[in-house]
Amino acid sequence: MTTDQVKPLARLPWFQVRLPRARGDFTWIYLWGAPLRVSHWVAALSLVALFGTGIFISQPLWVTSGEASSHFLMGRFRFAHFLAGTFLVMAGIIRVYWLFAGNEFERWPALWPFTRRNIRAMFLMLKSYATIDPKIQPHFVGHNPLAQVAYSSIYVGTTIMICTGFAMYGQSNPGGFFYTAFAWVPAILGGLQNVRVVHHLFSWLYPIFFSIHIYLVIRSDYLERGGVVSSMFTGGTYVSSHDEFEDCDLGDHPSVPWHTGEHPTWVKPQ
Amino acid sequence: MCAQPVRPAFSRRSERGPPRAIGAKRLEGGQTGMFLRDSEPWVDDETLGQHLEENGVSRRSFLEFCTEMAVVLGLGSAAAPSVAKALEAQKRPTVIWLEMQECTGCVESVIRTEAPTIGDLVLDVISLDYSDTLMAAAGFAAEKAKAESMAKNKGSYLLVVTGSVPTKEDGIYCMLAGKTIRAHLEEAAEGAAAIIALGACAHWGSVQAAAPNPTGAVGVRDIIKNKPIVNIAGCPPIGDVVTATVVHFLTFGRLPSTDREGRPLFAYGNRIHDQCSRRAHFDAGQYVENFDDENARRGWCLYQMGCKGPATYSPCPIVQWNNRTSWPIGAGHPCIGCTEPFFWDTMTPFYRRLPDVGGFGVERRIDTIGASLAVGAAAGVLAHAGMTVLHQIRRRKSTRQLPEHGAPTEDSTNG
Repeated sequence: MTTDQVKPLARLPWFQVRLPRARGDFTWIYLWGAPLRVSHWVAALSLVALFGTGIFISQPLWVTSGEASSHFLMGRFRFAHFLAGTFLVMAGIIRVYWLFAGNEFERWPALWPFTRRNIRAMFLMLKSYATIDPKIQPHFVGHNPLAQVAYSSIYVGTTIMICTGFAMYGQSNPGGFFYTAFAWVPAILGGLQNVRVVHHLFSWLYPIFFSIHIYLVIRSDYLERGGVVSSMFTGGTYVSSHDEFEDCDLGDHPSVPWHTGEHPTWVKPQ
Repeated sequence: MCAQPVRPAFSRRSERGPPRAIGAKRLEGGQTGMFLRDSEPWVDDETLGQHLEENGVSRRSFLEFCTEMAVVLGLGSAAAPSVAKALEAQKRPTVIWLEMQECTGCVESVIRTEAPTIGDLVLDVISLDYSDTLMAAAGFAAEKAKAESMAKNKGSYLLVVTGSVPTKEDGIYCMLAGKTIRAHLEEAAEGAAAIIALGACAHWGSVQAAAPNPTGAVGVRDIIKNKPIVNIAGCPPIGDVVTATVVHFLTFGRLPSTDREGRPLFAYGNRIHDQCSRRAHFDAGQYVENFDDENARRGWCLYQMGCKGPATYSPCPIVQWNNRTSWPIGAGHPCIGCTEPFFWDTMTPFYRRLPDVGGFGVERRIDTIGASLAVGAAAGVLAHAGMTVLHQIRRRKSTRQLPEHGAPTEDSTNG
């Protein structure tokens, strides 16, 4: 069945389920390995927790009354913050491992998409966002280079947050492991108070990034029907065999009719 | 050393007549404390032990002092006999006290050291051959005394330095006896066994070194590289930490072990935050929100009033000030972090948690900037989403007007 044989569907009221009109041969592209997806969601949840508890730690929103011995409010918030921090670090360790073990979309060279062609694509993406014109967007099956640069920046920012965070965490036990291992952080930044400032300043990266990131993936999913959102759950996406992408040559990959219900052939793009 | 406060009848002291009473402090039970203001001069060949005995200082008060010093130094009271043994065998050590670009607040702090009158002991027991503030001589006589002492005790004297060194314009911002203070420092450091950099100025420059640092003020460690230096940080530091460091030097013949800032670990090993008497209120979530509110009266945590205790290493909560009368947080004032390097630039404003950051010529708080950026991003997202929806509606309208639904349209929606 090819796309030429698709018949027009009857007009349906807006609230009824609309069947997709595009039919034909689709290829399942496996993009994100399970370690990457796990680390994505662990990091997402722990970052939300870290930001919330971090804001309370920096500026307590309410005070408790009565005897100090009957409360442990700040203690609990700090514990939650440190716990979420350890989860974030675990996600980071998985991600770093996957930088060397993943596929070409996940490996460390993908973090620097600064080829001439990709830089042109970044400008096209910016132009497309500025003029609200999806048609001029270059097609990528993975991240587009602009998104990749944003994610790489988040990796850098999170590394800074982890280092400054552990530098402050270690201060409660001078001479201990974290104090010694991160002693270079206050030395570089010129004192503990500057570490605190950097940690605080970079924490605002996350609400900014979250709103833009969530908006753009949903927008991309809606406009391009690329399945970006679900790809972070399922690991891959269906693309039409006739599509052409900047970052992936579908070539001779066997296509799977989308409606047969067969288990999709997982193609590792090379 | 005699065990009783009573002087032996045959001591040299008795030959010189009865002791003068100026400044002498009588403890309960008639025991003489270690006040030596009325003491006989300590002659060069005499050991400290002999000297104290001469002056009627009881063995008990000497051991009390040694025990206290051993505890302050973190050696434990069991080390007191060793400290006593080392101290009483000491010959009179020479100290040159150089005052550079400073306010003499450190001298004020040191002469207020607490019982058992360590300050008096240090001022009398050591041979303080030169100190602008404390010495009687002035002018050429003072400079001559310094030069003579430095030549005589070359390689063995202890150099105490307060104040910073101005480096801009060849150091003309602090001159003494026709020479820059930097020349004085280099000359004095040449023959010193060790240097005690006393106070924030000698540590890193303190207030003078705060931006824009007009005199180019730096600390001692930035000028002198080839001598052991210990930084007694603080603006001013607690006097007892100074005397304890001197005692450590006399006992062990070397300076105490230090952290990466060169501060002695026995005093600066822990944060104020981790030793604070108000810490329970921090963990419980009980904070002073205004200096005049009920929570301030209850003695709750000063975290929200800009307390820098979580970033400051200092023995203030334990040793305290002015004969253990009080200390800043104990008195209801947040810590300003004066023992940390660059505190004037990084710890200000003192009554806010975090420093201001520059922006558009106006100082702004980090949270204001961060929150406005976040709100701006969210607003931008909403605006962009709205425009995208408008764009899609317009596009769909134009698609609907197409007479045929043949090949899938670009956005592949039905409608």
